[in-house]
Parts: sequence; C-alpha cells; structure tokens
Amino acid sequence: MQLPQFPGVNIEILLFQDVSNANDIRSKIAELPYAFIDARTICSVEQLMSAIYRVMIESKYNRLRTKSLHSEVLLALSPTSNIGEAFKKFGISDDTKNLIMIEINQDNDNSSLDKTVVNGEIVDFNDDNLQKNSDVNAIRKIYKIDQSVEFENISELSRATVNAIQLRGI
Amino acid sequence: MSQEIVDAVSQYLTPNVPIKLISQGAEAVVFTTPVHPYCPSNEITKDSKPVQYIIKYRSPKKYRHPVIDKQLTKHRTLSESRLLGKLYLIEGLHVPKLIATDAYNGYIWQEFLGEDLPNDCGFSNLKNYLWMNAKDPYNDVVKDTLFKVGEQIGLLHINDYCHGDLTSSNIVLVRDTNGTNWIPYLIDFGLGSQSNMVEDKGVDLYVLERAIISTHSSFSDKYNDWLIEGFSSVYKKQGKGGVQKLNEVLKRFADVRMRGRKRSMIG
Repeated sequence: MQLPQFPGVNIEILLFQDVSNANDIRSKIAELPYAFIDARTICSVEQLMSAIYRVMIESKYNRLRTKSLHSEVLLALSPTSNIGEAFKKFGISDDTKNLIMIEINQDNDNSSLDKTVVNGEIVDFNDDNLQKNSDVNAIRKIYKIDQSVEFENISELSRATVNAIQLRGI
Repeated sequence: MSQEIVDAVSQYLTPNVPIKLISQGAEAVVFTTPVHPYCPSNEITKDSKPVQYIIKYRSPKKYRHPVIDKQLTKHRTLSESRLLGKLYLIEGLHVPKLIATDAYNGYIWQEFLGEDLPNDCGFSNLKNYLWMNAKDPYNDVVKDTLFKVGEQIGLLHINDYCHGDLTSSNIVLVRDTNGTNWIPYLIDFGLGSQSNMVEDKGVDLYVLERAIISTHSSFSDKYNDWLIEGFSSVYKKQGKGGVQKLNEVLKRFADVRMRGRKRSMIG
C-alpha cells in the first residue's frame, strides 16, 4: 500500500488473529524491523492510517521523535507524547491475541516482511475485522474520551481517535 | 502571487493529489481534491461524483519575519484544528470532519460538505439557499432550516465557543438522508475561539444578522426572528439558568446592534 503523497514508500499491514507467540515476539521486538500493535486498541483502518500518515509527514520534515518509523507509529497513535507509555498501551503484550504487523519500507526494494515471525491466522486488514477485535472501552480510556460523550457507532469513535492522533503534542 | 501559492501546494502534495482552487482569503487558500491523504476510497456521492476533500493552506506571508511567520502559521493551523476536534465532541453540533493536520506547513484536510443547488443556484451555503427560495421566501422548509441554523449557533455558544466570522457563506447546508430537509454545518473556524464572553457571542449574532440583512433585505426580519427562535430554544432547554444566560446574550446582542461590532475605545 502507498500513500498518495509518498509514492516511494511501501506500507505493508498484516492483521493476525489467535496469535500464540506474543511472548516470543515481545522478547525480540528490538531486532525486528516491524511495528507491532495490539489490535484491541485499533477500531478502524482510518485510525491506524491517520497515525501512519502523521509519521510520514513528520519523517519528511525531520520531526521524528523516536529512532525508527516503526516506533514512531506507536507514538503517533498515542494521545500523549510519552514514548514509553505509547509502547505500553499500543504495543504487544504477553496476552495479545490479535496483532497488527506493519512494515514501512522507504527503499522501495522488495518487501522483507517475514510473516513467519508471528504464529497466527492472517485475516484481511479491514474495518470489519478490526471492529471484531477492538476493545471500545479500552480505546475510550486510552484517548481519554469523556464518558459523557456518547457514540452511536464505531465510526464516530474512530473520528474522535483521528482527531486526537492529528492534534497530539505539536 | 496566487499562482506561486498553487505551485507550492502542488509541490507539497505531489502530482498524485490533483487540486482545484475554490477560495482565497487573506489568511489561507482553500482547495478541493478527490484524493484522501491516507484512506483510499472509491466512494461516490449521491449525484455520482467522486467524494471530495478540502485542503486549507495557510501560505507563508512575505511581509512577516520568517520566524514569526512560522510560529503564527503553526499556531493558527493548530488552534483551528483543535477547535474542530473539540466541537466534534459536542452532541448535536455539526462541524466538518478533520482528516489531517500538518501544522508546521500550514495544512488542514477536512471533509467536503455541501453540494450544488438545483437550477444553477450555486453552492449550498445558507446565502445561496435563501436566494434560491426568494420566490417563496417564507415556506416551511426555509423556516425549519433557519431554526436549525439558530440551534447550531446556540449549541456553539452555550458550550462557550465562538465562531468569530459567522456569515451566511460560512454555514453550509447538507441534505438529510430523505433529501427533503437541510442540516446546517458551521464551517471555517479560522477566527473561532473558546470564549465565555457575552460580547463575543453578541458579535457573532450581530455579524450574521448583518449578513442576512445585506443579502436578503426584503425578508430579513422574519429570517432573523427564526434564527433567534432556534438559538433561544437551545438555551431554554437548560431551564432557568439557561434563560438567564440567554437574556444576557440577547441583551448584549441588542447593545452591539446599537453601536456596531467594534466597541469604542475612547477614554
């Protein structure tokens, strides 16, 4: 997948269900050139893509705050500017069952995405599958959306998360 | 001058994002594009045209010192986006959806609202809509629309936000799902702010009243009555405290009307 403004950058996103080796991945996460995100915290394609868009903009204008584009994705998702907290909230944890794996490839050569790193079933990365696995209450809590605000459907929640992602810590 | 700006935007967006200039103000230029910045969509609108998006760009101003220029651009882009984010969370209030913000470069992406009115009446903002209805100026749909516009302003004000440039072109009408009634959206919060000052609210109402008087003078009395009816209804729902606040705002509105928008600074 490519973003219209960044034609030279390939973005691969895989959604895994029933992941059995979360613990394993977590222990070698530093060596793997991918971003891993707990799918519970993502409610829509829009939410994740808006974070990736922000990463690409910040990368182009030299405003990255972390060492790689992949860690920046987690930071961009977060409503706060604390990198450690972003990893804790959005990153993989030992009890992660559904996982999103992202590779951002700027060299435009063939993808080196190694699907075998994750033991799980690959399903389509789309809104339906994300909704099935998302934890609405956790997302509300992470983005500090007041309980008094009611959402009629997921797309309204998704919109609130996009707002938070676009506006955090500039 | 303006070609320069268009070139800068085209370069920023790359040729993959075609743009069309739709409006230029002193502060920003506004473009439309059929390309979403990060979610490719093949959605089609009701009249089977591709979905459009709005790009609002605050260009660097040469008359400012570059450092100050950067700060101002960033600050204004960000505060407008923040406002959109906050207003979205107010129940019942309709504002355009924020898609992306690049405050350093001065870009805001928003959803495109409105449509072209039938019979070449132009874009569906409140001004053109009222002109479209000039032959039958007091029909029920117009009344309903203006009442709803008033409600939107009431919701904005009761939550202590002000628009700052509330004209009839900054109110966009979107057809509801049945296609019969219109849902008003407030747009362009470039001068908006959070404010609990009665003065700012009074000025908002005054600016809109003047806009209606100057463009639709034959019918403006009734139109403004309907707007205020809708505006008041929001406050009245809040009980006694709401009515009290309402009276404060309306009283100040009357004051502003007497003296004009700018308060005398003499003395």
